[in-house]
Amino acid sequence: METSINDISALISGFDRLGYVIDEELATVVFLLLKLRKPILVEGNPGIGKTELANMLARLLDTQLIRLQCYEGLDVNAAVYEWNYQKQLLGIKIQEHSTLNEAEKEKNIFSEDYLLKRPLLQSISAKDKAPVLLIDEIDRTDEEFEAFLLELLSEFQITIPELGTIKAVHVPYVILTSNRTRELSDALKRRCLYHWVDYPSMEKELAIVYKRFPEIEQKLATQIVHFIQALRQKKLQKTPGVSETLDWALSLMTLGYHTLDEQAVARTFGCILKSTDDIRALQEAGIESLLIA
Amino acid sequence: MEIDKPTFTRALIGFAQFARSKGLNVGVEETFTALRAVDLGVFENKAVFYYTLKAIFCCNKDDLPLFDHLFGIYWETKNDDTRKKSQHKIINPQHLPKQQSVLSAWGLGNGEQKQEEDSKTVTGGNATVRLRKTDFSKVAEMDASILEDIAEKLWREMSKRLKRRMKRRHTRETIDLRRTIRASLQHGGDPIELRHRGKKPRKMRLVILLDVSGSMDKYSFFLLRFVWALQSYFEQVESFVFSTQLRCITEALKTKGLEKTLKMLTPQADNWSSGTKIGECLKSFNDQYASRILTRSSMVIVLSDGLDTGEKGVLEGEIQKIRRKTRRLIWLNPLKGMTNYEPSARGMSEALPYVDYFRSAHNLESMLELEDLLCSL
Repeated sequence: METSINDISALISGFDRLGYVIDEELATVVFLLLKLRKPILVEGNPGIGKTELANMLARLLDTQLIRLQCYEGLDVNAAVYEWNYQKQLLGIKIQEHSTLNEAEKEKNIFSEDYLLKRPLLQSISAKDKAPVLLIDEIDRTDEEFEAFLLELLSEFQITIPELGTIKAVHVPYVILTSNRTRELSDALKRRCLYHWVDYPSMEKELAIVYKRFPEIEQKLATQIVHFIQALRQKKLQKTPGVSETLDWALSLMTLGYHTLDEQAVARTFGCILKSTDDIRALQEAGIESLLIA
Repeated sequence: MEIDKPTFTRALIGFAQFARSKGLNVGVEETFTALRAVDLGVFENKAVFYYTLKAIFCCNKDDLPLFDHLFGIYWETKNDDTRKKSQHKIINPQHLPKQQSVLSAWGLGNGEQKQEEDSKTVTGGNATVRLRKTDFSKVAEMDASILEDIAEKLWREMSKRLKRRMKRRHTRETIDLRRTIRASLQHGGDPIELRHRGKKPRKMRLVILLDVSGSMDKYSFFLLRFVWALQSYFEQVESFVFSTQLRCITEALKTKGLEKTLKMLTPQADNWSSGTKIGECLKSFNDQYASRILTRSSMVIVLSDGLDTGEKGVLEGEIQKIRRKTRRLIWLNPLKGMTNYEPSARGMSEALPYVDYFRSAHNLESMLELEDLLCSL
């Protein structure tokens, strides 16, 4: 399918068919990712569809999505590969009385059968087509891991001392996301194409809501989006993202609301505000001030 | 659209140079990528061309406005002057200004004369011991640079020790199967020797808020040095200075180094006599940075004399917020070194209930005592 995407408009309509609203700017960046095979770094506030982008891209290209969720203390064992120790132990026991010599025994134990492939190794050992590799929330890892990644992203090869170097047959499409809780290293940033995702405009957010819930009533959708957009203008500890909007829309529909009123908001604001301070701030400001008729 | 390829390529390279000269981090690799992108036909549509260059040339959210501005100037002005100029401009390597003494930049001591005096001074052990105990505000001009050296040395050692200690903790927690198996090969596959794996030492996040207001004048120079030393030996340090406004200096210290940062801050120092708004500065810290920086594993160090001229109650609320989000809150107050000091200043008394450790920071000795605090965490 990859070959069928030859311009940006094809990409936009492809995403559209999958139910993902993408603007021309992001589409351009994704297009460059596909053609230049340069990793893209997508930064932005939480909950605005950064991870979803990778999901959708994998579906669009009809390929595998390999996801590496980063966390503090992520190490090579969890990210690249690990030997299957238990299996190796058994392997040693089984071979104990065989006629193989030392070297052969060792070779057996350190063969691919005993290797557990973690996301990064998986991503470069895909056999038939290039997968999408999502490295999620890269800002959570530490600098050491970032440095390791740097090597992988430029060479697309991994060296396992016991097996030798494995080089990617198909260079994966790499998407890195970051919530900007810390600055990434310049070196890593320069390997990537950069895209900053902002909160969507009113029109775009409405389009997203309709796309996800085609059956939603127009009035309710407009009110929800208006409310959220107004809410984002306030200084909150945790500003609601698009995922909150969608959660909220679904909750309101499930509860059978047709219009948004004060009571409806009061019953459901757990969907959009995730901190007591924010809820208190909203109550003090008055819910009705954010509502439109 | 008919475009002459070589001309266009030249224009693009010109733009890359132009962007670089204006402060965007654009290197040869970025330019190549842009040229490759051009081959894909992205220049046929102006918006797409703009998005393409943006994705390639920016690597930070903060770059975006600058890029927009430069893009506008370069590609959208009718006259080709800017374009031509930057195409032919040879960017000279920047001539760095002659190294000037940090101290003279801060109005302590004066240039060459001081150095002559220095060479006559014999820094024996006695002097070192004496200087370690001298209050920063009472350091003689002559001694300042010696003290600077001692301070640097001591702080570097301290940072090294801290790192080492942090690595030694948490041993023997889980069995390291990989190494156990390696070891067991010697014994025919029986895991006789167990190898252990310790927890990866969790890196401490340090946030430093340094008061550089008029009342701290005498101390802030040394304290800033201290901040710099901490930042160069710990990996995750964010540092800020404040007086009436808060300012993040992490990047400045990292990229420009100590001397330049000092110089950058010096011209503003004169305006800083208008009083300290600690509360408000902490508020802007909480609003702008706290959510990005503070985690449960972070430690906040406030270096201030606590003389707040802002509104009552603000400081208390903000310091409480900070305390809630961090592991430890340390307040270092140079005035505490005075013999009969009591934390009666309003700002200080408001903050005190939320502070885990309240220490003095008036001389080297007292700063070095911090070491124990830092490694007890």
